Amino acid sequence: MYEGPIQDLIDELSRLPGIGPKSAQRLAFHLVKAPPEEAKRLAEAILAAKERISFCVECGNVAEGERCRICRDPGRDPTVLCVVEEPKDAATIEKAGVIKGRYHVLGGAISPLDGIGPEDLRVQELLERVERDHVAEVIIATNPNLEGNATAMYVAGLLKPLGVRVTRLASGLPVGGDLEYADEVTLSQALEGRREM
Amino acid sequence: MRVDWVELRDFRNHRHTELTDLPEGLVLVVGANGEGKTTLLEAIAFLGLLASPRTSVTEPLVRRGAQDAYVRGEVRGVQGRTLVEVHIPMRGAVRAQLDRSPVRRRRDVRRRVRVVFAGPDDLSVVLGEPAIRRAFLDEAIRTLWPLKEGVITAYERVLRQRNRLLKEWEGRGTPPGMEAWDAELASRGATLTRLRAAAAEALAAEAARAFAQVAGYALEVRYAPSVEGEPLEERFLLRLSERREDELARRTTLVGPHRDDLRLVVREFGARSFASHGEAWVAAVCLRLGLATAVEAEVGEAPITLLDDPFSALDPTRRRRLAEGLSRRGQVFVSAADRELVPDGAPAVLAVRAGEVRREGA
Repeated sequence: MYEGPIQDLIDELSRLPGIGPKSAQRLAFHLVKAPPEEAKRLAEAILAAKERISFCVECGNVAEGERCRICRDPGRDPTVLCVVEEPKDAATIEKAGVIKGRYHVLGGAISPLDGIGPEDLRVQELLERVERDHVAEVIIATNPNLEGNATAMYVAGLLKPLGVRVTRLASGLPVGGDLEYADEVTLSQALEGRREM
Repeated sequence: MRVDWVELRDFRNHRHTELTDLPEGLVLVVGANGEGKTTLLEAIAFLGLLASPRTSVTEPLVRRGAQDAYVRGEVRGVQGRTLVEVHIPMRGAVRAQLDRSPVRRRRDVRRRVRVVFAGPDDLSVVLGEPAIRRAFLDEAIRTLWPLKEGVITAYERVLRQRNRLLKEWEGRGTPPGMEAWDAELASRGATLTRLRAAAAEALAAEAARAFAQVAGYALEVRYAPSVEGEPLEERFLLRLSERREDELARRTTLVGPHRDDLRLVVREFGARSFASHGEAWVAAVCLRLGLATAVEAEVGEAPITLLDDPFSALDPTRRRRLAEGLSRRGQVFVSAADRELVPDGAPAVLAVRAGEVRREGA
């Protein structure tokens, strides 16, 4: 549609997740119109992230260096592991400050439609870690969708024979939500997970 | 519930049609072929479904020469008044407002505006492949319990995932992760099976009664699930393990609701051996009437029922019997090409000609 560098930029941007051709065009023109230093800062931040950020050899989370901040922290309980799909999921749980143990990032969820099988996830690393660190409990916090559930079930099936306690985050009604707007699937899950009062 | 008024703009051949004070009871829509009767019914269906019961693409819905079509209308029922406004662009997604707020989920509209539509395509529910009857059952679920739509989509997704796994697997034995997909298929499949059984049960008795009233003999409507027995999830897993070898060889899922059927049995024969086109058509309409009655039992008021050209395939006796069965069903729109086909006694008659509607009678 356009010529030369601007089209190259649009093409590159539209390859990013969640960016369609229209958003890419808007971002590209924003960058072209912005002061040169702003564009330079963005370019440098991308390069720096690419060069300096690596993935933690222990948990697979993003790290600056060999191990991430949480795996380096001796105050975190190494016998409790929280298994998540992506680094952003670990960040979300970490923000809430509810896990005293450490994380294990699988790097996705099993999804044959996307060509992702168990061998593409960091499952073997998880099993090794559980045995080596004498892990007592694995909390599976994959997304409560179809692929996340299948992944949880697969991982749990491999962990159970190791004698480790395997738990899964509860699914149900959102806190502060309105019962009327809950769909039936959520309601039936909430009912299944109901508690004695 | 009933449609109080409806307005069509650039919807198929209707440049601008506005109908007000639409009454409860039978509303006859008469006009020659191609004049826009069905379109009027289709537009009213849009108020509840936010989609056409006839086509899944929007382009034919927009009048030639226009860019966008609009359908607006107000429905009155026990839950009060509901204003639905639908914008149908030639390309792109249909957008709707419910009481002036944007609609995020289609099921929110379906909960407020219940619509049952029967048209000539429904003949294939009776005579066509099982897939068409499964689609009918799923439509019944969406109409009866709009919030349970997620059960249908979740099953479709797990099935696609599992089929892909079976299709792509090149190794020997069972692909890794298969147990997880078996468990998901069993749990979501069992939920859908129970829901379809409940929908079939809810509409079967009334469909049979309505059929007997028109045809003079019995119709049996029976859900035939791929997996049955209790506990259903365990039965599912058992059937999956029994068919494992076949599934690996044929590389597709052979057990589950995608292989269900709805059996329609007339006078001891399977539905495919319906004696005549007219008989099959009566069964098709009666399935929808059964659904309408089930909706009434579920929500406490009859849905808006839309019957597109129900009379032309019938002999005079059956025509009269069917028409008699349409009273006391709340608001029922019925289209017909020939006024002679229509029994007397409708409170409103709408005559459609070249996309314009003229009101006659009371």
